Amino acid sequence: MPKILPSDPSRIYILVVPLAILLLAVPLWIYSGLGPALAALVVAALCFFVISSLVRKVVKAQEQERLLDLQLIQSQKLAAIGELSAGIAHEINNPLAIIAQEVEWARHQLQAEKPEGKSFAELKDSLDEITRQVDRCSEVTHRILDFARKRDPLVQSTEINKLVEDMAKLVEKEVSHAGICVIRQYENDLPPALTDPPLLRQVVLNLLNNAADSVGQNGTISLETRIPDKGKIEIEISDTGCGIPKEDLNRIFDPFFTTKPPGKGTGLGLSLCHSIIIRLGGTITVQSEQGKGSAFTVRLPLDYNSHKSG
Amino acid sequence: MSVRPKVLIVDDEERFRTTLHKLLAIRKIDAAHVGSAKEAFSEIANNDYDVILLDVKMPEMDGIQALGRIKRENPQIEVIILTGHASVDAAVEIMKLGGYEYLLKPCAIDELVGKIESAWERKLIRGKKTLDANS
Repeated sequence: MPKILPSDPSRIYILVVPLAILLLAVPLWIYSGLGPALAALVVAALCFFVISSLVRKVVKAQEQERLLDLQLIQSQKLAAIGELSAGIAHEINNPLAIIAQEVEWARHQLQAEKPEGKSFAELKDSLDEITRQVDRCSEVTHRILDFARKRDPLVQSTEINKLVEDMAKLVEKEVSHAGICVIRQYENDLPPALTDPPLLRQVVLNLLNNAADSVGQNGTISLETRIPDKGKIEIEISDTGCGIPKEDLNRIFDPFFTTKPPGKGTGLGLSLCHSIIIRLGGTITVQSEQGKGSAFTVRLPLDYNSHKSG
Repeated sequence: MSVRPKVLIVDDEERFRTTLHKLLAIRKIDAAHVGSAKEAFSEIANNDYDVILLDVKMPEMDGIQALGRIKRENPQIEVIILTGHASVDAAVEIMKLGGYEYLLKPCAIDELVGKIESAWERKLIRGKKTLDANS
């Protein structure tokens, strides 16, 4: 889309102010009896005020356009990768199914032979390991298919504080032994939101799990809900964990991007969160400082339908 | 009436269907296997089957099309779809066409046997109801 304004909006003053002074200040000086300097000053002030407000609006619109472009690119990227990876997952699931069956059959054969001795025990151990690795692969492929699968949100009236608290309790149970403290700061007057609770639960749980992983031992996870603007709600999940390196910040929502060790993360959690929140008409943003922690903010429309019709 | 379900496996992966056939046999399930929808139709025409395990992605005719034809011509047979690629659209289509269940590969053999048995049970109940209505 062509830009109406030059990249630096302040340049507009150089063009418009002298022209306006010429056109308005001269008649003002002639007809109002003001001195030429005063007339020029009045017109300049007026111009400055009008143009400032216009420039502010244009800058804000440009910023919104830039954010929308970024969101669009991210959504398109996710959709393309989702489609591609679903195809790959399908191709992997078929050989996995054969491997799983062969292991089952080999195990049956071993039982029939009533084997004894170290080598048979090792063989059995190998089969168990193959089964574990097949399960691990199928967990990944099934998650990929979940990721690529799109369903329209099913909107229900949702108590956001309760939803967040339910997930917090779940994670708190898991992390209590690690000395992690979960702090709540829920907005008391939060009205019920019209959104898809299972989808949102998935996002909150994912963010909480990531926070717990990042904190490790004796840290803090903070949960906050608030109303940032009319018709919006915000959920913030922050931690005092290891934080995200600057160079990784704009890649964390990309599918398969992970900093976790092999076998610990599929790299689909955050991209799934991102794609769910976009589908719910919201945004998800992150602020992070390495060594200090991260804060993920989910902003959602209070009414999913208003976002859809808007 | 058979005492155990008679199953037909339809999958273009030969190793998948032959091993599944052996695994079902050790669980006392009598099964046959074919590699395409076309072969499945001639098997169904010549033998009685209770449950069909059908792959989706196959050359010539895919599992969804095959399901439509099987249910049109033999509505008494229960069909379980076994696929490597799950999608909500496909699941809805399968349910609409009268498919009994939809399983994502790889799935545990015990889970599959459980589904076969419950599909067979459903076929028996339906058969009994038809008999009662006719008598």
